[in-house]
Amino acid sequence: MSLSLQALLVALFVTITFIDAHTTQTHIFRPIVVGPVVGLIMGNVQTGLTVGVTVELMFLAVIFVGTAVPPNPTISTAIATGIAILGGGGTELAVATALPISFIGQMAETFQNTVINVWFMHRVDKAVEKRNPKGIVINNTVLPMAMNALLYGVPTFLAIYFGADYVKMIIDAIPGKIITGLSVGGAMIGAVGFALLLNSIKSKKLWPFFLLGFFFASYLKINMIGIAVLAAICVAMYYYFKLADQKKEVKG
Amino acid sequence: MSEEKKLTRKDLWKVFFNQLTIRCANNYERQQNAGFTQAMMPVIEKLYEKPEEKQEAYERHMEYFLTNDITSAIPVGVAAAMEERYATEKDIEPSSINAVKTALMGPLAGLGDSLLNGTARPLLAGLAISMVSAGTVWLGPIFFVIGMAIVSLGIRYFGVFQGYKQGVKFVDRIQSSGLISKIADLAAIAAYTIVGGFVPLLVSINIPLSYTNGDTTLVIQEILDGLMPGVLGLGYTLFMYFLISKKKISAVKLILITMVIGIVGAYLGILG
Repeated sequence: MSLSLQALLVALFVTITFIDAHTTQTHIFRPIVVGPVVGLIMGNVQTGLTVGVTVELMFLAVIFVGTAVPPNPTISTAIATGIAILGGGGTELAVATALPISFIGQMAETFQNTVINVWFMHRVDKAVEKRNPKGIVINNTVLPMAMNALLYGVPTFLAIYFGADYVKMIIDAIPGKIITGLSVGGAMIGAVGFALLLNSIKSKKLWPFFLLGFFFASYLKINMIGIAVLAAICVAMYYYFKLADQKKEVKG
Repeated sequence: MSEEKKLTRKDLWKVFFNQLTIRCANNYERQQNAGFTQAMMPVIEKLYEKPEEKQEAYERHMEYFLTNDITSAIPVGVAAAMEERYATEKDIEPSSINAVKTALMGPLAGLGDSLLNGTARPLLAGLAISMVSAGTVWLGPIFFVIGMAIVSLGIRYFGVFQGYKQGVKFVDRIQSSGLISKIADLAAIAAYTIVGGFVPLLVSINIPLSYTNGDTTLVIQEILDGLMPGVLGLGYTLFMYFLISKKKISAVKLILITMVIGIVGAYLGILG
């Protein structure tokens, strides 16, 4: 496959993921999916998976709770994966570039929400005034979804098509020890995502559950499916011992 | 008015599909208003005959509306029931439709964010990552997408159909029984247990140092693993939590700090 075709396919896929993000939300826009799919297009699924997994951990919780638009992991995973594969398959640099690239998506999305969609929404207003239901669908759904190609697809295409040459130069210029360091840091990055997630729920009385999960995984070597089952048991216990009794008290 | 003006299951399916567009034209002026209006389109077109009545109904839903994209299906269903009541019986104030929508915005935003972004998505993503780590290629991502599709479309289906069926009663139930805080409690327990389990599996810190004294060689990582496997990852995660919750340091800074620690640590040979 030629580079222009690959860049085009990645851009198309990114556009589709944004349409999913704005409609059905099956979450194909998450790094864990975007990484391997872009890897498939670019000819190296394994690199895509590694980048996808690391960026997914980085963005596990919502970064920036409370502010308007968070940095966007979709476009960041797509470009970082594409560039990593074109640059020879090293995932370390991709992980380091994922964060700065996520701000491109954030800017595009902010522009979409503050300018473009305000304009479309006023066109929906006009369609209502003119009693034209078709105009509602066109201006609420069709045109805003078409804009996703321009806002997210085009930057992705440009970054992959023109970025590859520069990336090779940069990779060659970086000392090997720093590249190793990036992968060491990348393996630790999950800690930030988990801490954010815990902070977003924040409850003192829940720490025993956290330690229970840690104990099962670290000492007893229970795998992730086992941890999910453990969590279900904890939830059931809390429900039966606490919430179910409360119900009885109210009734009795 | 006659019985034929009642909404059918087919109409509700149309509402379900139009509700999917709730955030297509998400905008900072009135947020999901245009999406909500499109979701109500099948209802309004079916229930009202006079063009001016239709226009009035559309304009009603063009007011400000903002909640979680997925749980917004509940107020869509409730509003459909209220529009039907207003169109057929005329015994409720049309302004009460927006009052009910507004009352649901806050609780459902909180519920949607904690249940979906705080629990379901990280949980399924973590499971998918573990499947990838176990050496499967596509199983993890496919599992994740199917899981999220069931959550996203399932809650929307429930919201539109149950919201319509129970109508305004839904609002009372949500507000009086503390249902939302109970669901949030259960979700929080699941999240804490799972994150605890994720830490030793997905945060890896390795110290490649060893100390030789005569015949015995002490490998630091082996000693740590013997005492408490995964203790470094646990310590680092709790340290990050401390910096976020107590020192209010932003996540972006912490990601950068982590990368710098990795580079400096690897350079000095104490991490690897």
